[in-house]
Amino acid sequence: MKIEILKKIIKKKSSDEQFAVLTNLSNGSSEIYKIGIPLSNNFINYKNDIENYYNLKKSGVINNTEILIQNYIKPIKVIIIGAVHITQYLIKFLKNLNFDVTVVDPREYFTTKQKFQNIKIINKWPEEFFKNIQTNSNTALITLSHDPKIDEPALKHALKKKFFYIGALGSKKTHKNRCKRLKDEGFNDKEIDSIHGPIGIKLGGKSAPEIALSIVAQLVSETNKYKNL
Amino acid sequence: MTQPFIDTILEEAISWIESDKQVVLATVVQTWGSSPFQIGSKMIIDEKGNFLGSVSGGCVETSVIAQCVELIKNKNSFKKIDFKVSDENAWSVGLACGGEMTVFLEQIN
Repeated sequence: MKIEILKKIIKKKSSDEQFAVLTNLSNGSSEIYKIGIPLSNNFINYKNDIENYYNLKKSGVINNTEILIQNYIKPIKVIIIGAVHITQYLIKFLKNLNFDVTVVDPREYFTTKQKFQNIKIINKWPEEFFKNIQTNSNTALITLSHDPKIDEPALKHALKKKFFYIGALGSKKTHKNRCKRLKDEGFNDKEIDSIHGPIGIKLGGKSAPEIALSIVAQLVSETNKYKNL
Repeated sequence: MTQPFIDTILEEAISWIESDKQVVLATVVQTWGSSPFQIGSKMIIDEKGNFLGSVSGGCVETSVIAQCVELIKNKNSFKKIDFKVSDENAWSVGLACGGEMTVFLEQIN
């Protein structure tokens, strides 16, 4: 592979869109592909297959050919509300799993740089934060602040935008009260039931890293279900 | 859940080249059966056999590294290698898990 192509791939990774790298395994040539971009002579004969793989976001060698397609897909966005102790552990797990993490907490004293290195921290109220960011069914929400003032506007936004995963920290009692408030606001049972609360799978642990692990386990399980739909 | 977008192996490859190393990129391109790593898993190898990243759970790395060093020595630009289920000969390289995989080696130049 030419170093110029490698540099182009790295540059493309910082953009927001899907792209693919095509490699002809019989002669070693590579190029970057996106829908609409014309293919070179090395790949033009496989146009239909390449488009198919691209649209399915599938990577691999196209059947009965020597053409490799590797799709680069933007990682799933995870928004965490609350820069609490659990968040610090959660971020480490999520980064290793290639999620794109943003932490939102209006309480500036919670979000010191020492605690949260190399992570997008937004000191805004959720309502304000969601105004400036694109979210959709490809987004996950984890609320950890415990404070309904901070958590609930985010939960309402996530329900409206049909996030594929919504989890809220809090005991069964806290969650019951939360659900009641959401019902009063007009959300239906199906919507409310889609919230994972109390958040996480049962591991039996109580420490912050154990809770973070139980949350991340649930998120990964839901992500894999969602991706295999 | 590994998507290559955040993976930094390609960035590492550039920094190796900038420090005057010769670099081969090894990529898993096909798998059959119970191969441990998914298509697109990558490893970089230099002319001395230093490596970063992984293409399997450790089963075929030694062979991949040796073949990459060879590729550089012979000034070849690419090579495709197939790994099959390991046979009874304990010395041969193979996938103990019973899978099969193809790894594509390409020199970056």
